[in-house]
Amino acid sequence: MAVMGSGGQAGTSTPGDGQRQNRRRTVVMQVTAEASELPPLRLVAADLAARADFDLDTVEDLRLAVDEAAAELVGVAAADAVLTCTLWLDVAQMEVTVSVPAKPGARVRQNSFGWRVLTTLVDEVRVTGEADSGSSVVSITLVKRCHDETVAQSW
Amino acid sequence: MVTPTEKSEEWAAAESTDYGHLAALFAELVELNPDSPRRDQLRDRLVTAHLPLAHHIARRFSHRGEPRDDLEQVASVGLIHAVDRFEPERGSDFLSFAVPTITGEVRRYFRDHAWAMRVPRRLKDLHVAIGSAMSVLSQQHGRAPTASELAEYLNLPREQVLEGLEAAAGYRTSSLDSLLDADGAGTLLEEIVGTADAELGRVEYRTTLAPLLDRLPERECAILKLRFFAGLTQSEIAQQIGLSQMHVSRLLSRTLARLREQLRSES
Repeated sequence: MAVMGSGGQAGTSTPGDGQRQNRRRTVVMQVTAEASELPPLRLVAADLAARADFDLDTVEDLRLAVDEAAAELVGVAAADAVLTCTLWLDVAQMEVTVSVPAKPGARVRQNSFGWRVLTTLVDEVRVTGEADSGSSVVSITLVKRCHDETVAQSW
Repeated sequence: MVTPTEKSEEWAAAESTDYGHLAALFAELVELNPDSPRRDQLRDRLVTAHLPLAHHIARRFSHRGEPRDDLEQVASVGLIHAVDRFEPERGSDFLSFAVPTITGEVRRYFRDHAWAMRVPRRLKDLHVAIGSAMSVLSQQHGRAPTASELAEYLNLPREQVLEGLEAAAGYRTSSLDSLLDADGAGTLLEEIVGTADAELGRVEYRTTLAPLLDRLPERECAILKLRFFAGLTQSEIAQQIGLSQMHVSRLLSRTLARLREQLRSES
């Protein structure tokens, strides 16, 4: 199963070159929470970043990070859960939230190698809705900034 | 396409093995009637006797991430073609005909078959062009280029470059332009990976991770440590190790998936 939607935050169609200022693009994707269903998520994230002219190291880091975060959540997902991946593309950063209904008591370990991978790849990582906070949905949010000033200005 | 260095390497290998006595068999083979049963015998013997040459050529491509068995098989097919097509009466000797024929067969294999996904030929060529443009631009800018910079450098529409980058993601492991001198890279890796090892201790369950890292191929392990423990970017790693950034990306992604699977099955 895969569902996908996208649009500018203002609710209109995708802004063209030259009128992208102050726009925030959003893409929402949903897939079955299984490892085999993850490739489209990383593909879309990487393509969006490349189109926004992030340098290709940044693009590849995002590709790996989305994959890692989604795979981590597949590990804690409840049976037959649907995983939601939302991408927000801003002037100089991409924010990604991946979330899934979790098995009771499951948690994202922050001392794991996977966590190490995530913190290396992106500028910010946070986990929300851990099982002990009473929420059944666990999310990982990633923020990757586009470090090149000139690229950010070309928006 | 055989560059002088490749050629001399092949010659050195060929000289260390004596194929000279086989020339007479080729002479005999062409004299035979096409239906003669002796023909198959001779052909088999010629192919078998030259197998070390095919395997040697296959080994030169072994760092590109394709299974060694597959490469040796492709090189052997190239050798069979070479034996079948060789015309001794033209005066050249078999080796100078066989080396480019076998090498060509292996190169064609990389171009046509070594893609995990079916990708049109046009995109494969674009993939090669992007690969070389990336290394040039990375050196110029001191960071990986953007899609727009690649488009400008290659004088192609940006959309086409983006298409090429997507196609690159369909290529399993390696980039066509990334021949690497394995020996040279080995020394370099040992020098830089030492600093990464100290960082490893900070991951809490290194007792679980360390044995898995030990089981990784040396190069994959080195790339992983450089990215996640020494904090180098993919293009910096690419430059240090002498691979393309796309190749580094492919290897990292595959290694992470593999580790994930193993960590999960052990926990």
